[in-house]
Order: sequence, then C-alpha cells, then structure tokens
Amino acid sequence: MNLQKYILRRTIEIIVTLFIIISLLFILFRLAPGDPTSMIIDPEMTPEDIEHFRDAFGLNDSLWVQYVKYIFNIFRGEFGNSFHYDEPVIGIIWDKLLNTILLFTTATLLAAFAGITWGKYIAWKRGTWLEATITFTGLLLHTIFLPWFALLAIWIFGFKLNWFPLNGMMTPEVWLNPDTGIFRKVLDIIHHMMLPLFVLFTVDFARSMLVMKSSMLDTLREDYIVTAKAKGLKDRIIRNKHAARNAMLPVVTSVSLSIAFSINGSAITETVFSWPGLGRELVFAVSNNDYPLAQASFLLISALVLVANLISDILYAYLDPRIKY
Amino acid sequence: MKKSVLCLLIAVFLLCSISNASAMTLKIGIHNEPKTLNPFTARDVWSKHVLDRIYHDLYTLAPKTFELIPWLAEALPEYDKKTNTVIVKMRKTKWHDGTPLTAHDVVFTANVIKDLKVPRYSSRWKFIKKIEALDDYTLKYTLSQPMATFYSRTLLTFIVQKKKWEPIINEAKKTEKPLQTFLNYKNDNPIGNGPFKFSSWRNGTSIKLVKNPDFFAKNREIAGKKVGPYIDGILFKIYGTTDAAILALKNGDVDYIWWSIQPGFMQDLKEDTGVTLTENKENGIRYLAFNMRKAPFNDKNFRQAVAYLVDKDFMVQRILQNKGTRMESIVPPGNEYWHNPDMPEYGKGMTRAERVQKAVEILKKAGYTWKKEVKIKKDKVKPGKGLKMPNGKDLPEIDILTPPADYDPLRAMAGIQVQGWLNEIGINASAKPASMSFISDKVKIKQDFDTYILGYLLGIDPSYLNSFFHSSEIKRRGRNTSAYKNERFDELADECNKEMDMEKRKKLVFEMQSMLADDLPWIPFFNASVIEGHRQQRFTGWVNQLNGIGNSWSFLFMKPVQ
Repeated sequence: MNLQKYILRRTIEIIVTLFIIISLLFILFRLAPGDPTSMIIDPEMTPEDIEHFRDAFGLNDSLWVQYVKYIFNIFRGEFGNSFHYDEPVIGIIWDKLLNTILLFTTATLLAAFAGITWGKYIAWKRGTWLEATITFTGLLLHTIFLPWFALLAIWIFGFKLNWFPLNGMMTPEVWLNPDTGIFRKVLDIIHHMMLPLFVLFTVDFARSMLVMKSSMLDTLREDYIVTAKAKGLKDRIIRNKHAARNAMLPVVTSVSLSIAFSINGSAITETVFSWPGLGRELVFAVSNNDYPLAQASFLLISALVLVANLISDILYAYLDPRIKY
Repeated sequence: MKKSVLCLLIAVFLLCSISNASAMTLKIGIHNEPKTLNPFTARDVWSKHVLDRIYHDLYTLAPKTFELIPWLAEALPEYDKKTNTVIVKMRKTKWHDGTPLTAHDVVFTANVIKDLKVPRYSSRWKFIKKIEALDDYTLKYTLSQPMATFYSRTLLTFIVQKKKWEPIINEAKKTEKPLQTFLNYKNDNPIGNGPFKFSSWRNGTSIKLVKNPDFFAKNREIAGKKVGPYIDGILFKIYGTTDAAILALKNGDVDYIWWSIQPGFMQDLKEDTGVTLTENKENGIRYLAFNMRKAPFNDKNFRQAVAYLVDKDFMVQRILQNKGTRMESIVPPGNEYWHNPDMPEYGKGMTRAERVQKAVEILKKAGYTWKKEVKIKKDKVKPGKGLKMPNGKDLPEIDILTPPADYDPLRAMAGIQVQGWLNEIGINASAKPASMSFISDKVKIKQDFDTYILGYLLGIDPSYLNSFFHSSEIKRRGRNTSAYKNERFDELADECNKEMDMEKRKKLVFEMQSMLADDLPWIPFFNASVIEGHRQQRFTGWVNQLNGIGNSWSFLFMKPVQ
C-alpha cells in the first residue's frame, strides 16, 4: 500500500473514531450526576424559573431528540451555546485556545528541543559526572509539585525581584493606553509569558531528554557508528548527523502527541498564573455540567490527537526510508 | 542568534517596566472573570460587581442601615391600600449616552422580564398586574395583591434603555427560542445610568470602567457625606489564586482584593504597613439540613439532640479562627433589623460532656436506646455505640454531604467535626465531600439524602424564609429541601409576604425565626466574618458595612489621598 492510500485509510478511521467519541461524550456527560441547572442554587430562582430556563436551553427534550440535534449541529459546525456563559461555544474555545497554544505549545516545543539537544549530549557523555548531574536534575525537576513551584517562582521573580508580572497575559495599563504601539503590546505578552514558560519548561524538558537519551544509547551501539568513528569523523558529526537523526524517531512520536495534548493546557498552571487558557475552562465546564463547552473541548482535543498521530506516522515514513505503508 | 535573543530579553525588561496608570483609577483584584455584561443574564457575583457600578435603580439601600431610600426616584413610593397601586415619581436623569432616562424605560424593562419570564427576575414581577408610565416621569404599579417584596426586590430591579434593547428583544422574539436568544445577547457596550461607564473589557485580563461625570446623584448628601464619584474609574484585574492577589496587594498592583481573605494570610498582611485589614459581618449562613422525609430526621427530638452536640463555639474558634460568630437564627445577626436576637442557644457555654449528657437525655426521653450506652464520668465521655430508634430498629448510617475542601474548606471541615460529634454518641455518621453538582442532584432532584452542609449569601429582605421553609416549595427542584411542613409557619409566611407595613412584618418574621429555631429543619452553624485587605496610600473613604467594604457607597464616597 502506498502512502496516499495509507493516509486515505487512516482519515476514514479518524472520522469513524471521532463519531464514536462524539456519541460517547454525549452519553458520558448525561450519565454524570447533576444537570446544568443544578448549579443554579440561587434562592431567588424559583422552581418555575429553573424549568423555564431548562426549556429555553432544550434540556427538557428527550435524550434521543437532544442526541439527534447534537449530531446534526456538529456536522453543521454548530456546537451550541455554553450554559454557563450563554455564548457560542466556538467563540469561547477559540479565544482560550489561542492563549493556550501560545503558552503551552511554545513550552512543549522548547522543552522538546532542549530535551532532544541535552538527551543526545548526555548519552554521548555517558558515565561522566555531567551525565549523572543533568539526568538527576532533570528527574528532580520533573517530579517537582508544579503548583508549589509556580507559586515559588511568582514569589521570587515576580514579587521579591519584581522581574516579571505576577499573573495574567497582559498588563491592563499598557493595553488600555491608546498610545501603546503593537511592538510594545507584543513585548508585554512575552514579558507575561516568561515566568509560566520557565516553570513549564523546567518541569517538562526531562521527559524528552530521557527518551532521547535512551534511544541514543541504543543507536550508539550500532555498527555504523563504530564505522563512523573508525573513519575519523569528528564527535560532533557522528553524534548529530549519524546517531541523533536515527535516535530521534521515538521522540518525534512523543513530541507530536505532546503538542496535540498541549492544547489541553493545564488547569493548575493556568489558575496559578491566571493565564486565560482552555485547560482551566475545560475543568470548570466539566464541574458545572456545561455540556456544550465540555463536549466541544473534548472533541477538539480528540480530533487533534488523532490527527497528530497520523502526522507522526507520516513523519516517520519521511524520516525513516525503511518504513513503508 | 544568542545575541539577538539576549537583546530581545533586555528590550522586554526595559520596555515592560514602563506602564501608564491613571493615578486616580481604583485597581481591584477579582477572583474570576465576569461571565457577562447582560444584566438579565448575570448570575455570578463577578458580573454583578461590574454591572452594579453601571446600572442603578429607582431606589437603593442606605449605607449601614439598609433602609430604602429614593435614588432615581424623587420620593418614597406612595402605596394605596384600597386600589393596591403604587405611584413612583422619578427625577429627570440621563443615560450614559446623554439621552433622558424616563418612566418608559422602566416600563419596558419590567415588561421584558414579565413577557419572557426572565429567570431570577420574573418572580419579582409575578404579582404586578400592570405597570404604566402616567407621564415621562411618573410610574403606576398595579399589584394583584399586596406583596412585601415589592419594596425590597421589585423596586430594586435594574433598568435598561428601551432605545437600545427594544430592537434586541424584537429580533429575539422572531427566533425559535426567544428567551435563550435574548439571554445570549452579549451586551458588549452596556449603556447604563450609574456612577461609572463601561470603557473596555480585555478577555481574561481586565475590565475598565470610567467615571460618569454627569452621575445623577452627584453632590447629594447621604448619611452626612456628599456623593461622588471622586475617582477617575475602576480597573478590575483578574487573579486566579489568592496567593497571587495577596502579592499584588502587597506590592501595590491593586488597591483592594474583592473577596474575603482566609485567616491564614492575615498575619502576613498585618505585618505589611501598606495594607489595612477590615473585618465586617457577613450576611450569609452555613448550615446543616435534615431530610425530614425520613426517620430519624423527621423526629424533632433527634434534631434537637444533634443541635446540642454541634459545638458552634468550637467551630468559630477552630474553623473560623475566631473570625466569625455563631448563628442561632436563619437570619444572620448582621442583618440587625430583621434578626431576632431572642433565640434558643443550644449548648452555648456547655462543656463537651454536658452537651453529650443533654443529647442523651433528649434521646432517652424520646425512646432511643443503645447497644452500648454512652458513659460520662467526671467530665469525660466514653463513646456509645449502636443507637437504636424508638421502634427498636438500628439507626442506619447517616451521610453528611459537604462540598469538597477546595471549594469551601469551612463547610468541609464543619462536616468532619459534626461526624465526630455524632459518632461519639453512637450515631454512625460519615462526612462525604462531593461536587456541588452531585449534592444538588441528590438534594433537589432525587431528594435522596440524609443531611447536607451548604451555605448561602443572603439578601437583606428575609423573604428567603418563605422560599426555604414554606411547604409549597416541597417539590422537585424546590427550595424547601428539608421538606419542612408546618401549617402555622405557612400561615405566618403567607401573611408576612402580604404585609406592607415594615414593623408588623418584622413581628411576623421574628415569630417565624422562633419556630424554625425550635423545629430545626436546619441547624445554622456560623457566620464567617468578611476580612478584606486594601491599601490606604492612594484612596480613602471606604465604608464598612455588612458584607464588607466592597459596596456601592465606598465607590461613591472614596476620594484620592491628597
């Protein structure tokens, strides 16, 4: 089977999988206890008000009617309105998604890049104190309790040293000033990003580093590496051009899935830094039975993961000529 | 490459250290982003914090005393008992866009609420047969029956501009679900009449309001002070955690944090000379509710025994760290006009052993027995086991549903305490933290629970006594979750609802509180103090009152420090 047929087959599988996921999401949310109006525990809302509210949002329709409307709307690209925000879900997700991608995808890519770079280096320096130190440090940082670390970073770098803002994505005073130029606004966002990026990067880079190290160690045992050394090639050339390229393949899969999952954000990080992203919104939507928002968010993550899986398979074929579909 | 990255970092540091902030804009830290600026839709406290600055009502509640005073109206409402009508005369005031605010806007708003049955507000207008604009500045309300909440709720409903909202309503009415369409309207640029105008909303970051220099009540004298606003505006900044907000308060990024600070942060803030802490009473309640649909909770003796076991002083001391007061009545003590101070104080001043002794006496007299009785010797309690009901059956395990600790640590801790006290006397109780959604489902929809611990922030008007305990509210999603049924209470509540004379109504409310304190469908626990932090360097004139310094009067009276 050639690559094109493979892609076509996989695309059909993705569509079928998504349809199953869509249906499962519908069922799971409605099986969970409570309903959206159960969160309206307001003494001023009479039971009649709540019934009226339920009727207005189609919650009194039978489950089968709700399901059919739900599937039909998804195929029309309509994901409904959030029960909590009373706004179209697409708009809410889009706003938050861009913020999440900006921070978390950047952090994932930086961590992956650093992880691959250091992973190949410490594999090359196996047995030295440098390898032991970096491996130990990476593991230690990877197991740090993230919320505590984030708060500590805010306290030291934001409060004590006053190097970075304490929270958020923008400085209101900068953005509300009509004389502020685009460049200043971009720098402001970068300034706000630096502390959460630092925290996420620190906690995350070890994962790619250790996968890369392990893969490099296997590759370095290969005969062609011995041949390259015997030919008198420089260490740098052997490490980067011969060994790392082949060792990187498992890391490619891991990184592409991480990028897809990065849009999930992290509710904890977003909460601590008051970063207006999708992760925190997703947790809130699930806790409050905000079906449309939660369903659409999970659907988006599922679709991205499936597509990322496909892309990594295609990349594999491109990077490793031995792989044929 | 490395040099260009370094240059970029330096540029970021240098340029970002410069920021422009108006010296006279109050910066407030809020915990969550407001959900909407649509006043018909807003249910969350953060949206209301913003909207209450933009939209003001015909009447308002005076500072500290909370008596009804005319605001957009010229004088107090004129009620005619014979015809059940009320006349309200309005002042000549304007919307933020300069157009006149007239009686037609009030009539329009009311009719929208009534016609679309807008949730949360339609109950305030159900008994209003008709509302008319007799002229541009005179309103006539025709009531189907006298209703006490007319003063405290109907007249305190926001007003929207007919010119702006009429086309929106008309468009919504053309759709399949007009209420949903209407409630979904974003209201990105609210036109109000309040002391502050909407300026901008940066999603996830901040909301800015600017001063309305033509505010209708400016220079009016209220409680010996002249009304402003004297500040240029308000900037609401969003902080996801209390830790970040506290740091922002300490370094001056905000002037005030608009939520109650937990006692754990107080010591740190007290040491900061730039921060002032205030403590005010809360108009709220945390309570234990019984499911009176089943035994033993339908037995008053059992409920009273539990009331003796609950050590409220211990709760105030340990859970609230002495920042709060015990509650005997459902109406909080801070609501001084409506609170009945003459309530039974179950277990007050008693030792642990004395409480247990009293509870055991009550239960024994009611016919309860034990497999292993509680033993009290020299003030020491030896726990009992296996309490049996008067019919001889074993008392089943009792669940105490509470919110989880990350949602409300006070209620979660209270659940654990109550579990311990009940276990000591041989009642097999178990505190079960659960999500709010789960609790609401069990309590309001399935009505299948034993007890739960929840809380509310309450309004000034005690009409919630009717909502929570009238037998007509015993239904699916009804507010009488305990299924409390008392004919005399229902009579009092119905009479109270219709009583337009405040003093007569007060007597009825007092009697209702006494009945509830005796019957105990709920055991009120405590009322946590509202502890807030603010900086005094830039602004002065905060007004301390029930529920804290974050109130309309603070924003109207406060001035920049000279």
